[in-house]
Amino acid sequence: MLIIAGIAVGIGIQVFVGSLITSLQADLVDSTVGSSPHITLLPDDDADFVSGALVGEVSDDPLVTTAIPVRRLSGIYTNGEDSLALSVTAGTSDDLDSIYRLSGRITEGSYRLDMAEILVGIGFSEDADVHAGDQLPLVLPYGTVGEYTVAGVFDLGAAAANDRLAFLDDASGAAALGQGADEYSAIEIQVEDVFASTETADRLAGIDGVSVVDWQDENEELLSGLAAQSGSSLMIQGFVLVAVALGIASTLAISAVQKTRQIGILKAMGMTDGSAGRIFLWQAALLGVAGVLLGIGLGYALIWGFSFAPVDFTVRPQASLILISAAIGIAVALASAIIPSRSTSRLDPIEVIQGA
Amino acid sequence: MPDVLVADQLEMVYGEGDTSTRALKDVSFGVNSGEFASIIGQSGSGKSTLLNILGLLDTPTGGRVILDDQDVTALDRTERARLRNRAIGFVFQFHHLLPEFTVSENMTMPAQISGRRIGEEDRERTTRILDLLGLEGLANKNANELSGGQKQRVAIGRALMNQPTIILADEPTGNLDSANTEGVYRLFREINQDLGTTFLIVTHDRGVAEMTDRVLEVRDGELVQDLRNTYLPPAGG
Repeated sequence: MLIIAGIAVGIGIQVFVGSLITSLQADLVDSTVGSSPHITLLPDDDADFVSGALVGEVSDDPLVTTAIPVRRLSGIYTNGEDSLALSVTAGTSDDLDSIYRLSGRITEGSYRLDMAEILVGIGFSEDADVHAGDQLPLVLPYGTVGEYTVAGVFDLGAAAANDRLAFLDDASGAAALGQGADEYSAIEIQVEDVFASTETADRLAGIDGVSVVDWQDENEELLSGLAAQSGSSLMIQGFVLVAVALGIASTLAISAVQKTRQIGILKAMGMTDGSAGRIFLWQAALLGVAGVLLGIGLGYALIWGFSFAPVDFTVRPQASLILISAAIGIAVALASAIIPSRSTSRLDPIEVIQGA
Repeated sequence: MPDVLVADQLEMVYGEGDTSTRALKDVSFGVNSGEFASIIGQSGSGKSTLLNILGLLDTPTGGRVILDDQDVTALDRTERARLRNRAIGFVFQFHHLLPEFTVSENMTMPAQISGRRIGEEDRERTTRILDLLGLEGLANKNANELSGGQKQRVAIGRALMNQPTIILADEPTGNLDSANTEGVYRLFREINQDLGTTFLIVTHDRGVAEMTDRVLEVRDGELVQDLRNTYLPPAGG
């Protein structure tokens, strides 16, 4: 019974730690790049803009989920002696919402970008004391000044974004930059699997007149952090498995010694070496299956318990991870039975009968 | 009566070179079907070695063992295990019952080892043998709950279950008091007479050997006497 509990704890930890790390990473990646472009097409050194017609071509890529044309400009807000710089992205409200998911993150005012309307972050709003409905004069490139109305204030959950980002309607952006209807600063793209963005980026690099920026190139520290986290998680899980294997092996070894006499007699009565050896394989398989099932239950219980922890994300059980843990658990149990199984298979009944 | 078990010039040598020991020297004899025989010898005479070889638990270094007209000397471990299961019933000094199982489960163990599904016929045979052994109504009792004498009788029943060609018993009453000893031999005799089962009993006790119809005496690895019920005084006399 204790050994089943041992296996269950091992597998439970596998399921929980594995699901925790996977969910944590998914959450981290989602909060980092979930609401921002994964790939950006910029005009190359010889061009001043990218063509909006590229959106169609980019959208044909099967891995691309969203592609929008945007205009990028910087603006400076001056309030007495203080100057605050804003990085402004201009586009249609629908387009911008498809990547930045702003409509659900408005804390003040509403999500809309009509003519000469701007959305600012909550950090900027507080620093500049500018709120929905207020006028916002911005010093734009080429020294012009744009007068915009604050339509809403958003909270993207990251201080840097809330302080620096602003979104402007498309026509005002075009006017500020002097761009034509088909001339844009960038095409912003999201792909299905953020970790597979490089593959798509490499393919898009073939388009003439653009340079491609992949989020993975700009977030190497995050990626190496995630890799280190995965590595350490795998190491913990590996050690847990070794502990489980040693536990099963020692239990079976003791059991094999205890049962030597009985197995010797069964062999004298005609049990073959193969059948005797299989006794411990079966025992290990039963221990393994029972331990794994209990362990999965325990893993789910831990995940459920974690939902009460005061943290900002949910651990989701990972089906593939659970299946792999179960398979490894049973395989480890069977592997642990090899030594007792062999010694039982080779046991000579005479040794037992004469030693009795 | 045909011989069901034949020892043909059996040799058993342990070790090699100067340190080798010759445990059996050119031992030959045959056991007839339905015979009630014993092997007698002092401790270390080679009688248990002989029984192990005849019971296919060990392989001789020379000579042959013929069981039911088949030379079984050269069979591999698996074939010998299967043949043991089918043709030989063992009774040891210690009962070797499995304590976790009931009397009937212990009795049907040889049948289960052979991979056969336990059916109505086996259950009936178990009941019949338990009756014969004077253990009526104990089929579902746990083996642990029986007395020493009862356990040894269950072990005898287990040896009978597969209707073996021969029962080999190695000091089967070594752990029993005199009353139980006599009971067991009377039982052996009844089984021998009622079922026609062949018995070969190894013992160091001349008094016990004298209860059988034939006494084979082994000394220093050699068969020195083979007496058939001629000069032996009656049992207990």
